[in-house]
Order: sequence, then C-alpha cells, then structure tokens
Amino acid sequence: MANHLKFVARTVMVQNGNVDTAYKTLNRILTTDGIVDEAKRRRYYEKPCRRRQRENYEACRRIYSMQMGEKISFLMRRNRQDPWAGC
Amino acid sequence: MYSVARTTCLRLSAPVIPHSSSLVSRGVCSSAQRLQEAAESSASTAPAKTSREFSVFPPLPGQESLLRWGGKKYEELPIAHIKATYNNTHIQVTDHLGQYMVRTSCGTEGFKNVKKGTPVAAQTAGISAAAKALVKGVSFVRVVVKGLGPGRMSSIKGLTMGGLEVVSITDNTPIPHNGCRPRKARRM
Repeated sequence: MANHLKFVARTVMVQNGNVDTAYKTLNRILTTDGIVDEAKRRRYYEKPCRRRQRENYEACRRIYSMQMGEKISFLMRRNRQDPWAGC
Repeated sequence: MYSVARTTCLRLSAPVIPHSSSLVSRGVCSSAQRLQEAAESSASTAPAKTSREFSVFPPLPGQESLLRWGGKKYEELPIAHIKATYNNTHIQVTDHLGQYMVRTSCGTEGFKNVKKGTPVAAQTAGISAAAKALVKGVSFVRVVVKGLGPGRMSSIKGLTMGGLEVVSITDNTPIPHNGCRPRKARRM
C-alpha cells in the first residue's frame, strides 16, 4: 500500500466510541469486496488445476443459488390479482 | 485502485447519507469527494454539532474537514500499527511522521510460544501499549490493522480498554497482485 494514498481506502471512522460497530462495518465491507477470502487463499499456494476447479465450482454454485432465489421469490409473491374473483 | 473504487462505490450505495441516492455511484474518487463536500457543507450549516451527519469515510487529504480530535486534524493524529499474524500480535504506536513512540507485542507481555497467538494475549498487549502511550501524552489514535490473526479484534479492544480513543480503523492487509509465490499447501 505504499504506492497508494494512505487512509483513503479500507478505512472506517468510529462514531461515539463504538469500536465494535466500526469493526463490523469494516469487516462487512472487506468481505463484500472479497479481500478477506483472498487473504486466506493466498496464505498457501493454490495450484492452477485446483484454482480452475474452484472457479468452476463457484460459478456453478452462483448460478444455482441465484436461480433458486428467483424461484423462491416467484413462489412467495403476495400482490397479485385475485384468481377466484367473482366466486 | 480498483478496490478503492469498489469500496467507495459500495459505501456510496449504503444508506448512510440520505442524498447520496441523487448521485450516480460511478465509483470515482472525485464523486466521493464531491459527496463529502456536500455532506460537510450541509453539516456545517446545521445549528447544533450533534445533528451533524456522521460519514463513514475518513476526511480525504485534499479536503478541508471541520473535525478535530484533541485540537489536531485527522492527518496529524498518531497511528497505532497492529500486525496480527497467526502466531503473534505486534502493536506499534507512531506519530503521523512515522517516528516511533511505543512498541509492544505478546512476547513482551511474558507470553511464550503458542500462547502468543491468542486474543487474550493481544488484549493485554493492547492495554499495555495504551498505558505507555498515555504516559507519552497520546489520547486520540487511528488504528491500522495488518493481517488476519486471532489478535485482530481483541487488540483494538485492548487499546480502548487501556484508555486510548480510537478515531478510525484502517485495514492494511497486504494483498499481492500475484507477486511472491507463497508456501505450498498443507496436506493434513
């Protein structure tokens, strides 16, 4: 980080002394950015074959969970017109 | 600077500042500056200090921010570097120029070997570092954390328990952009 401006990125201000909330906010930002996962992954070397397997697995999992989420939100719709209107 | 842009982009989309929805989150640093200027100007025109909006961003170096801690601007506050490895935790407090003031670690607290890599040891190191820094006359500090270890959270807690005021938390974990090759994977 010596080539970048310091205290600009990955910084969270502490409000009213809530260090816990600030730390949680920082953690949330880092996980959504994928920095925590990458740091864990780079602890040991990951061979290219293992890396390809992992990327494939993650892509399949992403597709599956997104489609499952769409299906669930479709089935849980509440605001639709009454199908038995007039009975 | 992609992660910077992404981080600022994500923060812009968070509902911390209400009139951020009017700005398109292009994720450019200048848009973050303009947003903060708008927030600061709206905050400075507010009558009472308590109604000022709190922004998660730090005051960027090119800007005039009205926040002061102990009479010092954000850029002049001393920095507490915390290096949290998997086996140990080091805490070093320096001033904003980089001159060293206080240095403690789990080893200097009397822990040995495996007990150094525990959150309890990190907390005691934080408390002692805060005590030594208070002797030197430091009250507000910004924290820079490096590494993912067991002492990452508890050392900040130890600093606050020891009496230092934490102003902001930065994460400086080194992420190589495919630099040195790390050691081989463990097979257990």
